[in-house]
Amino acid sequence: MRNWFKLISMAAVIITGALLIYGTHDMPAWGDPDSPANSHVSPRYITEATKKTATPNIVSAVLADYRSYDTLGESAVIFTASISCFFLLRRIRNKEDHND
Amino acid sequence: MSDQLPALIIVAPLLGAFLTPIIGWWNRHLSHPWVLMVLTIPLYAAYSSLFKVIKNGPFGYNLGGWAPPWGIEYRIDYLSAMMLVLITTIGFLAAINAKSAGNTEFKGKEAQFYTLFLLQITGFLGIVITGDLFNVFVFLEISSLSGYGLIAHGEEGAPMATFNYIIIGTIGASFYLLGVGYLYMATGSLNIADLATLLPALYHSKMVLVGFAFFTTGVAIKMGLFPLHIWMPDAYTTAPNSVSTLIAPLMTKVAAYLLIRILFTLFKPDFALSVVPIATILGWLAVAAIVVGGVKALAQTDIKRMVTYIMVAEVGYIVMGISVMNRAGLTGAILHIINDACMLLCLFLVIGAISFKGHGREIYHFQNLNKKMPLTMAAFVIVALSMCGIPPACGFFSKWYLIMGTIVAKQWVFTATLLASSLINAVLFFRIIEKAYLAPPEDVAAGLDHTEAVIITRDKVPLTMIVPILISAAIILILGPLSGKIIETVIQHAVPAIF
Amino acid sequence: MTEYILAKYNYWIYVVLMMIGLYAMMGKRNLVKKLIGMNIFQTSIILLFVSTGVKKGGATVPILMHAGHEHGAQLIQVSDYLNPLPHVLMLTAIVVSIATTGVALATLILIYKRYHTLEEDEILAIRRESRAYKTPRILNPTD
Repeated sequence: MRNWFKLISMAAVIITGALLIYGTHDMPAWGDPDSPANSHVSPRYITEATKKTATPNIVSAVLADYRSYDTLGESAVIFTASISCFFLLRRIRNKEDHND
Repeated sequence: MSDQLPALIIVAPLLGAFLTPIIGWWNRHLSHPWVLMVLTIPLYAAYSSLFKVIKNGPFGYNLGGWAPPWGIEYRIDYLSAMMLVLITTIGFLAAINAKSAGNTEFKGKEAQFYTLFLLQITGFLGIVITGDLFNVFVFLEISSLSGYGLIAHGEEGAPMATFNYIIIGTIGASFYLLGVGYLYMATGSLNIADLATLLPALYHSKMVLVGFAFFTTGVAIKMGLFPLHIWMPDAYTTAPNSVSTLIAPLMTKVAAYLLIRILFTLFKPDFALSVVPIATILGWLAVAAIVVGGVKALAQTDIKRMVTYIMVAEVGYIVMGISVMNRAGLTGAILHIINDACMLLCLFLVIGAISFKGHGREIYHFQNLNKKMPLTMAAFVIVALSMCGIPPACGFFSKWYLIMGTIVAKQWVFTATLLASSLINAVLFFRIIEKAYLAPPEDVAAGLDHTEAVIITRDKVPLTMIVPILISAAIILILGPLSGKIIETVIQHAVPAIF
Repeated sequence: MTEYILAKYNYWIYVVLMMIGLYAMMGKRNLVKKLIGMNIFQTSIILLFVSTGVKKGGATVPILMHAGHEHGAQLIQVSDYLNPLPHVLMLTAIVVSIATTGVALATLILIYKRYHTLEEDEILAIRRESRAYKTPRILNPTD
């Protein structure tokens, strides 16, 4: 039973890995400056970000301005996780009610 | 002001969630009215967005004023506006219900509970409203993380079920992220509309094919499609009742929405029709889901667990409607997203009320329950009729379109599965209804007068529970006759024009 | 052939890392090992994303060097700086992975308090003993 189960997970892992490696066949070569990822959206960040946001650090400019909504979501994720942990673990530490 | 309405849909519950711990810390009895107050804003904004879409067609909203492929945009079309209305309505009803159940299930921790509750709704809304693939991932994680926290607080087996859910859910989210990565490497863009124009030239690229495979697998995990449903019954059965009322109807539906988006907006329908055999795969998985879900549901004696297996079958319905790839099928699938969400909401509300009154969830506990909780059981009967597909209730109409879709596609096995599943649902629900209504009364032996018993228990179900139950039952009855109108004004525009 | 391998080998390394993580998540019976597998899996995706932003040929980190000057804008060559977008995305993904790990650890604490073990087989045995309430194993195909 247990070996069978491990075999199944192994098969799933190998299928996943094979699929991913199959996908790399058409990928642009590593470090290619003209790959779609480096030439479609991102050049405008490099040429424009400093002018528009007055920040020399382009990563910060994109993080906190162009895609600041993602960053809002990111802080919400941290908030969610902290509240989740607080929610799950609080009773164990302290049974009495703090709120009145 | 009305130009900023789409932003309010996310910002209001998010800011509300940030403020809830403070309000709850000040006075924890205020957190429930506060949540209801906060939720009215996205409710209003969602309805006005829907009317705006019906009047003027789809519209976008650029966050921070950055043009789409560089910044993030909201994209509100017929389908997403419909989903926004669905999520806010169900979220609001579940929030009303959370008062009595939540206050006993999470005594002393109401503030954190309501915070996570709001974040959960924010996550669902964020997935639906955004037009950016990576942003979908961020909000998917907000909804998943708050779901993990809420579910783990449930009964005996909940932490273990949650841990399994975390592991499988993270695999799903990571697969989705891998899909985003592969598409990003192929095109260099993250915006759904931009990708939709770039991708047709690349449909035969291996990168895009693999990206598509990982997208659909990730979404199927979140949706609980048949072989990947194993986390779902455990997680939703052990979850606290006020939590499963919110998450169970919506999580699968939001994932189904994502699947429709990926298949018909991100990729054009001809990708699924001619490039990959995804329709065939999804169709047979749907058949398996309906059969396995139905059979496993028959084997359960715990009604909450039974409903989670019915959910597995219902996911199969939606996926089957998508997989037949014609107008009737997809109309049925989208209509079933609405109907099934309302039916599951009502079912979980009823289960919540029954558990709240201290009755067990096993089928034999339902004996003569109609005398103890007449209104709740009446709502249950309405859901049961709807689930079996009996006309005035809404379940009939979506099933009608689904069956039409399978007939148009000449997939007779699918048609047979749908019909058989209705029969299974009839057996499932009528064995409970029979126990509740037709079993010999036990209170006669106890010397109780019937009317007296009714009055006593009717007073005991709190108003915050019975009102959402009755509203959701009414919605189920109203949606049925209205479904023609819904299809005419919303769904027919959401179905891609090629069909 | 060598060129092909040189162009792709880093992607393959991430795929192997991913497979290790995925196997640990599905095949291991210890819950902490599953969690570690989850972290490996997420980290490999982060590496995959970051590596798409690499540009060969003297590109450097995307921080402009002459930003203070008036005419600085004309001097910017796109090929001089790495692609900033994957870095931004992965900052978010790192946060997400940490948050998930945190919540998972919290549930592990709850599990340990209840069963006094983190071995899945032992937990299942305890639950089978304590009541007839059974849970399907993760990825158990018979279920």
